[in-house]
Amino acid sequence: MSHRLVMDIANREGGISPIVVTPPSSLEMPNFRELWEYRGLFFFLIRRDIKLRFQQTVIGFLWILLQPLIQMLIFYVILGVLIGVPTNGIPYPIFFLSAFVVWQFFTQVVNYSAFSLVGNIGVIVKSYFPRLALPLSTVGTALVDFAVSFLLLLVFLLMNGNYPITFRYLLLPVLLVITIIFSSGVGLLFGALMVVFRDTKNFLNFVLMMWMYITPIAYPTSIAPEKYRVLFYLNPLTSLVDAYRWVFLGQGSLPRLSYLAISLSVAIVIWFWGAIAFKAMENRIADVM
Amino acid sequence: MTMSRLAVKTEHVWKEYRIRHDLEGPQGSFKAVLNAPFNWLMRRAIRSPQVQRFEPFFALRDISFEIEHGESVGLIGRNGAGKSTLLKILSRITRPSKGRIVLYERVNALLEVGTGFNIELSGRENVYLNGSFLGMKTSEIRRKFDEIVAFSELQQFIDTPVKYYSSGMFVRLAFSVAVHLTPELLLVDETLSVGDAGFQQKSMAKMKELLGSGATIILVSHNDRAIMDICKRVIWLDKGAIQMDGSSAGVAEKYREFLNVSVS
Repeated sequence: MSHRLVMDIANREGGISPIVVTPPSSLEMPNFRELWEYRGLFFFLIRRDIKLRFQQTVIGFLWILLQPLIQMLIFYVILGVLIGVPTNGIPYPIFFLSAFVVWQFFTQVVNYSAFSLVGNIGVIVKSYFPRLALPLSTVGTALVDFAVSFLLLLVFLLMNGNYPITFRYLLLPVLLVITIIFSSGVGLLFGALMVVFRDTKNFLNFVLMMWMYITPIAYPTSIAPEKYRVLFYLNPLTSLVDAYRWVFLGQGSLPRLSYLAISLSVAIVIWFWGAIAFKAMENRIADVM
Repeated sequence: MTMSRLAVKTEHVWKEYRIRHDLEGPQGSFKAVLNAPFNWLMRRAIRSPQVQRFEPFFALRDISFEIEHGESVGLIGRNGAGKSTLLKILSRITRPSKGRIVLYERVNALLEVGTGFNIELSGRENVYLNGSFLGMKTSEIRRKFDEIVAFSELQQFIDTPVKYYSSGMFVRLAFSVAVHLTPELLLVDETLSVGDAGFQQKSMAKMKELLGSGATIILVSHNDRAIMDICKRVIWLDKGAIQMDGSSAGVAEKYREFLNVSVS
């Protein structure tokens, strides 16, 4: 044994540090250093995915702008005009969009991550690269949409005139970090599930649809009866959406730091859970073929 | 003991695949569906996963060898002998079921040309994407970009979407990226002969150049003559196990004898 060790050290001189490949275990941590070495791949994956989404369409990149606009119009007409959901005097389009930008980011990351292993099977069976790059790069793709929707929201806010950009926006980066970690974690979990149960594909649509309805995006939290309201906050997105609305609209109060710390902790736990599950499944997918 | 540098070491590597038995008739499978929840519970209870429905199949059995820096090694064997599985483990696409491998050099695997190529993207974009999948750093691709394009002779078309390329053009571009890797340890799977005759000659020259530069090469082929041409050492696999490991002339002779016997 000691002889082998000496050999390993002797061999290490000059070249890279040796890579030891062992049978997979069910508890493997993501290798962040390796992911960093493959940062170029992230960039080109994001560029590929954005380009491919609009390559075949006539109006191309305009879709990024149209998607939130159309969603907003639909909800405005149905919930704002026809049903008249109370929004505390905030114009419904602004009220909706201020939460929808977050929701849109969440669903995109979850959807893209869920399909990332199955959708890239061709390169997985033919080359080695950290597989986590596939789901993690979807964050970048979704951030492009987020940036456009966010600008759209800013235009609406500034046109309205009652919602100036204030010091509250300083909280935005913090919220964004929590949102990214949480969305990516949920996406990784579904990506792992997809490898073992192909039914996840159909099941995911319903999960996301239900999740949207239990998150106060198209309606305010105050619509729920007082005694059930605590249930709302079991959904980590609820307090996030409230915090975003505070930033954009000044509605409600500054989220307590302890709440944000809890949200961040929950997001990180879910991310690692997702990443470990994903790593356990990525070892299987090349063998399934 | 010589102090030559190791490139790769495999120690008692096994690879097990599980083959699902779908031989049950429709009634059987209907019953299987009904029983599924109970089977699942039972499996959890007795902790013996998937005993009945899967039969293990060993694609590799106790593979051990060491390859030194700068060696050129061929892997031969009949279909299903485990050559491709071994290459996939060495290139880290899949992991061994037992045993371990140690890689001392930067590995590049060429299991196909054009990994990750997308026909909607331009030639330029594909070069960058493909290079990244193969493990090149962005700065490295940028540095070699002109050389890659010149080698492929596609200068005028480099910003055209690849879907408008002929299949020959596609292969030329993909192969150009591949040969501009600077591997320390190169794994190749029968992708040597691509393109027209002229381009093939260029590719072979590039391969030889790589060998001359001191890279370690592991080559898989059904064609033992192609292997003899490049490799000094040959490992012969059969049914997942090493049959023979030695000088290419010696192993190739025994291998041919073996093939003749098993044919007749």
